[in-house]
Amino acid sequence: MKVPILKQGNILIATIQSALTDQDLLGLQDNLSHQVIQHRSQGVVIDITELDVMDSFATRTLRNIANILKLRGAKTIIVGMQPDVAFAMVQLGLTLPDIKTARDLDEGLALLR
Amino acid sequence: MTKQNFSNPHNIDASSLMSDMGLDEKEIQHRKEWLQLDSSDEARLAELNKMAQGYADEVIEDLYKHFLKFEETQKFFEDPAVLKRVKNLQKQYFLRLTQGNYDSQYIEERLKIGAVHASIGLDVKWYLGAYNFYQRAVAKRLFKAFKNDPEKALSALFSLTKLIYMDIGLAIDTYIYQRELTIRQQQEAIRELSTPVLQLREELLILPIIGAIDAQRARQLTEQLLLAIRDKRAKVVVVDITGVPTVDSRVANHLVQTVDAARLMGATLIITGLSAEVAQILVTIGVDLSKITTVGDLQGGIEEADRIIEHYKIKPQKNNLQATTE
Amino acid sequence: MTDHQVSIPIITDSDIVSARQQARELAKTFGFSSSELAGIAAAISELARNIVSYANKGMVNVSLIQESGKKGILVIVKDKGPGISDISLAMQDGYSTSNSLGLGLPGVKRLMDSFEIKTEIGKGTTITVKKWALR
Repeated sequence: MKVPILKQGNILIATIQSALTDQDLLGLQDNLSHQVIQHRSQGVVIDITELDVMDSFATRTLRNIANILKLRGAKTIIVGMQPDVAFAMVQLGLTLPDIKTARDLDEGLALLR
Repeated sequence: MTKQNFSNPHNIDASSLMSDMGLDEKEIQHRKEWLQLDSSDEARLAELNKMAQGYADEVIEDLYKHFLKFEETQKFFEDPAVLKRVKNLQKQYFLRLTQGNYDSQYIEERLKIGAVHASIGLDVKWYLGAYNFYQRAVAKRLFKAFKNDPEKALSALFSLTKLIYMDIGLAIDTYIYQRELTIRQQQEAIRELSTPVLQLREELLILPIIGAIDAQRARQLTEQLLLAIRDKRAKVVVVDITGVPTVDSRVANHLVQTVDAARLMGATLIITGLSAEVAQILVTIGVDLSKITTVGDLQGGIEEADRIIEHYKIKPQKNNLQATTE
Repeated sequence: MTDHQVSIPIITDSDIVSARQQARELAKTFGFSSSELAGIAAAISELARNIVSYANKGMVNVSLIQESGKKGILVIVKDKGPGISDISLAMQDGYSTSNSLGLGLPGVKRLMDSFEIKTEIGKGTTITVKKWALR
């Protein structure tokens, strides 16, 4: 399932649905990489409110996305991490060390300004 | 948490009671083997059924005459309509003992009876007294009926004894289960009451923890805390552990995991009130101290929290979304 | 009458999602809390992913279990892949899963209540984990 990406000014907003396969994630990476260039975006908010699990692949891919976007001068913010997902992720030993996180879309957008 | 509710005898769900109590086919078979209750016993008991039908009424009458002599049991049978109904049920139970098949449906019925008795507050000792009465009442009649073959009477009595012990075991298990359930529910209530998450200001929560934290309480604290961060939209939570004398390494690690999880949700945890003991434990187990924010006391923690919130002060903007062209 | 077990063949990455979703649904019927469900889903995601990454194909078997009144979930993840050459290394914490060499096993062990692994080079790997519901 493709991840929908919306544009707000020079910020892109990607909203993830729950059933996200590895292919979907890679698709998102590809899409965002292209669109950041196409729209000259300065920031990307990835909304993971609906994401059911943050496993090693999701973590790795999100970090890759952040790094790729950084190369184009864009900041990445992850919003909407659910309490259960956050804790399970921490127990798995996964981290998102170089990515900013925020509570929700509003806070994420505000932080990017 | 199981949905079992023992407060109303009419609401007891017998079928889920069996699985809640771990009484599956395997366990039932196990118990029968332990009591050496086998198909020959079942056959022997079935043989007695016709005879039992003959003396059932008499035995039940005697049983209740005995019950009604005692104040504690009298009160259950003040209403004559209730007494009549109960005697009838008791007779059915009595005859069921000699029906010859004691499968999972039999077990379910036994559990339900035990649960009902537990819920109306009938003590185990009265329950045991009734079984004892049955055993003696039947023994007397068996030896009379088979007076020329006491061996036969004895075998039949042994079979009945095995079955009765199985029933008693199940009844007692129900009582124990009910007690344990109540204890668990109360523990849960106590835990919830003892860790209130307080909203001090917008975006700032305080969680004062008092008392020892074991692994289970730690888990529950984390859940409450992370949920509160989401639901109350908190930016900072000051967790004060002045009232926590010590933690073991498991709980300490759990605390660090909670800090990480909160950060992933976009919130900062400030730990205040670390005792000398707790501080030493954190250092000793090698917690990466750069990962956790600690301040001496609650006051200091709140000041630090305010600083963090000010730093991130943001004005909400109207959202103006358009789909990207692809 | 709900099923008490479910088996999901793992071949593609979408099977990883399928496995964790079905496991979550099954565990839900047994009364696991939402944070326990998240842990179970995460653990299965990692284990199933290892199959896709290293073993080509395998199977995830999830069943509901009971032991002395405790309710729990049993997950058996099997493959006929190359096996793990150095288990102690794979189980070492700090053997990071963020780089592509990690198998995420120490993390899965943390999420579950019991963890057993049997592996044979060239034959395959079977990982058995259990989690008990806190009533």
